[in-house]
Amino acid sequence: MLGAGFAHVFAGGAVFHAFWAVLIGIVVGALPGLTATMGVALLTTLTFSMGPNVAMLVLVCVYVGAIYGGSRSAILLNIPGTPASAASTLDGFPLARQGLAGRAMGISTLGSWLGTLFGTMILALFAPSFGEFALQFGSYEMFWVALFGIVIAGSLSGGDPLKGYIAGFLGLLVATVGQEANHAYPRFAFGNTDLAGGLGLLPVLVGVFGVAEVLNSMRGPAVKAVSSKMDSVIPRIRDVAQYWRTILRSGGLGTFIGAMPGLGEDIAAWTSYAAAKRASAEKEKFGKGSVEGLMAAETGESACVPGAIIPVLTLAVPGSAPAAVLMAAMMIHGLNPGPMLAITAPEFIYQIVAMLIVADMVKLVYGLVLVRPLLWVLLIPRARLMPVVFVLCTVGAFAITSRLFDIWVMLGAGLVGFILRELRFPMAPLVLGIVLGDLLDKNLLRGLTLTGGDITPFFTRPISAVLCALTLFAALWSIPGLFGRLAAPFRRGTAA
Amino acid sequence: MTAPQAPEEEAESPFSGDRAPLPPRWDLITAAVLLAFGLGVIALAWRMPTFVEQSQTGLTAPGIVPGFHATIISLLAILLGLRAIRRGALAAQPARAKRAGGDTRRLFTAAALGTLYAGFLVGRLPFWMATALFVFAFTAVFEWERGPKGRPRRLAEAALIGLGTGLAVLYVFERIFLVRLP
Repeated sequence: MLGAGFAHVFAGGAVFHAFWAVLIGIVVGALPGLTATMGVALLTTLTFSMGPNVAMLVLVCVYVGAIYGGSRSAILLNIPGTPASAASTLDGFPLARQGLAGRAMGISTLGSWLGTLFGTMILALFAPSFGEFALQFGSYEMFWVALFGIVIAGSLSGGDPLKGYIAGFLGLLVATVGQEANHAYPRFAFGNTDLAGGLGLLPVLVGVFGVAEVLNSMRGPAVKAVSSKMDSVIPRIRDVAQYWRTILRSGGLGTFIGAMPGLGEDIAAWTSYAAAKRASAEKEKFGKGSVEGLMAAETGESACVPGAIIPVLTLAVPGSAPAAVLMAAMMIHGLNPGPMLAITAPEFIYQIVAMLIVADMVKLVYGLVLVRPLLWVLLIPRARLMPVVFVLCTVGAFAITSRLFDIWVMLGAGLVGFILRELRFPMAPLVLGIVLGDLLDKNLLRGLTLTGGDITPFFTRPISAVLCALTLFAALWSIPGLFGRLAAPFRRGTAA
Repeated sequence: MTAPQAPEEEAESPFSGDRAPLPPRWDLITAAVLLAFGLGVIALAWRMPTFVEQSQTGLTAPGIVPGFHATIISLLAILLGLRAIRRGALAAQPARAKRAGGDTRRLFTAAALGTLYAGFLVGRLPFWMATALFVFAFTAVFEWERGPKGRPRRLAEAALIGLGTGLAVLYVFERIFLVRLP
C-alpha cells in the first residue's frame, strides 16, 4: 500500500507542488511572527480548487517546512521563528556565535530530517492498526476522547493548567454557536442568519493565529541580530554516529508527544532537549553550543509532526495546533479523518506517509542549498511583511464561504486571541476546543439520544471507563501537590 | 558549500514582548469577566427550548452542551479568582513598569488600520485597490517613524509594495488558484 501511496503522490506533477509548498513552509517558519499554524491556515485557502490529495500534499509540505524553518532564525538571530524552535536557540545560537552557524544549520537539517523520518515510520507502522482498534469507539468513547484532548492539552501546554482548561472550554463553547445537530436549533444566533450558520473554523483559526500574531508582532520592539561567520552547512556523518542514541530517544519522545492531543512541537522539543541533557555525558556543554542539545531539540520537534497526524487520522483528534488546521482542511476537502478512515479510505494513511517522506526529502534539499536566500528573507522589515500577512488572512477567512461576515469573525477572533495571549492563556487548548467542539457536542447528544437520556454507558463501557479514568487522572494530576498530599499518610505509616 | 556572512540587521520577535507573569490583580479581573460571561451563557442556555416532547429526555436539549461548558468555565473562573486572591490580588500592588507608549500606539495603529481595511474597505472598493491602499498606508505609517532621511524613497517603495501586493494577490488567488476574492 505504501508503494501505491507513493505512486499517488508522484502522479500529476505533485512533486512540483511539494517543492513550492515546502519552500513556503520554510519561509513562513523562518520569519519570526509567522507560525506553522498560520502557514497551514493561510495555505488552506490556496488549495480550494485542488484535488484532495494534492491539497493534502501541499499542506503537509507547508507543515513540515514551517516546523523546520523556525530553526533558521533560532540559530542566526536567537529568535525562534516558530514557538517549536525555542529550544533550538539554546545551543544553536551559541554555536553561531562561535562561528559555527553553518555546522549548526547542518545539524538542525540532519536532526529535523531524521526526526520526521522516524516519526513517519512510527505513523506507517502503528496508525493502521490503531485505526482498526479505533473502530470500536462509539459515541460514548468519542465524547471522552474529545474531553481527554482538552484536559491533557490544558494541563500540559501552557504551564498554567487552570488557564489551559479555561482556554479549552472557551474553544468548546465557541464551537457550539450555530445550529445544533439534533433539533437544528440555532444556538446563540440572536436572530442573525449568519450566526445561525455557525462560526467558521478557518476564519476563527486565521483570526486567532494570523491577526493576533500581526498585532503582537507590530506591538513588540525590534531586536538586534548578531553577526556571525559561517562554515560549511554540509552535515557530518560523525554527528549521527556519535549521537544515534539521542536521535532515537528524541525521535521516540517527539512522536509520542505529537500523538498526545494538543501538546505540539514546542513541548516535544523541550522534552527531547531535557531528556538528552539528563542522559548526556557532556551536560556542561548544554546551553553553550552543544551539538547533542541542538540535535535533540530538532529531532524531537520534527518527529512530532508525523506524531501529531496519527490521532488526526485515527481518532479525528489533532496532536498539535497546526495538525488541528490540517484536520480542518481535510474536512473542507471532503476527507473524513477518524476511525471510519480505516474503512472508507485505508490507503489514505499510506498516502500521508508518502507525502511526509516527500516533504522530508525536499526539506533536506532546501536545508543544504537554501542558505543565502533565507538570510535575505529574514531581513524583510515587519512593517512591509505584516500588512501582506494581514491581507492573506482576510482572503483566507473570506474564501471558504464567500461571506463578508467571516471577515468580521476573523477580526473578532483575532482581537479575543490577542487579549487572551496577553492574559497568558495558552492558545493550543483554545484551538483544540474549537476543532473538537463539534465532535464532543454531536457524540454527547447522539449517545444520550441512543440511550434515551441514560448516562451510564458513558461510564460503564470498557473503553469509555478507561478514557474517563484517564481524563480524571489527567485533571487531578495537574492540581499542584495533590498526589503528594494523598500519599503523605501512607508515607507516614511506612515510616512509623 | 560555504554559507555567507550572517546579516547585521534588525529582526522582530513574536516573543519580544513582556512575558513576565501577570500581577494577581489582572487574574482577578479576568476571573470576574469570565464568571460574568459564564453565568450569562448559562442563562442563555437555560432559556433554550428543551424539545422534551420529541426526545423524551431533557438531556438532549440544545442548551445542555453550552450550559455544561459555561458551568465549567464559571467554576474555573472562581478558582482563578480565589487563586489570585491567595496570591495577593487584594493587597496593595507594587508599581509596575509601564509598557512603552510607543508599543501601545503601534498596537492601536495596526488594529485600526486592519479593521479599516478588512471591515470597511473590503467589499466596498475593488479588492486589489483596497489591498494596495491598505498595504501602502500600513507600510508608510510604520516606516514614518524611522525619520526624514530617505523618507520619500521609503514612501515610493511602500506605494510599489502596495500596488504589487494588490495585483499579485488578485492574480495568484483569482487567476491561478481560482479562489474567489471579496
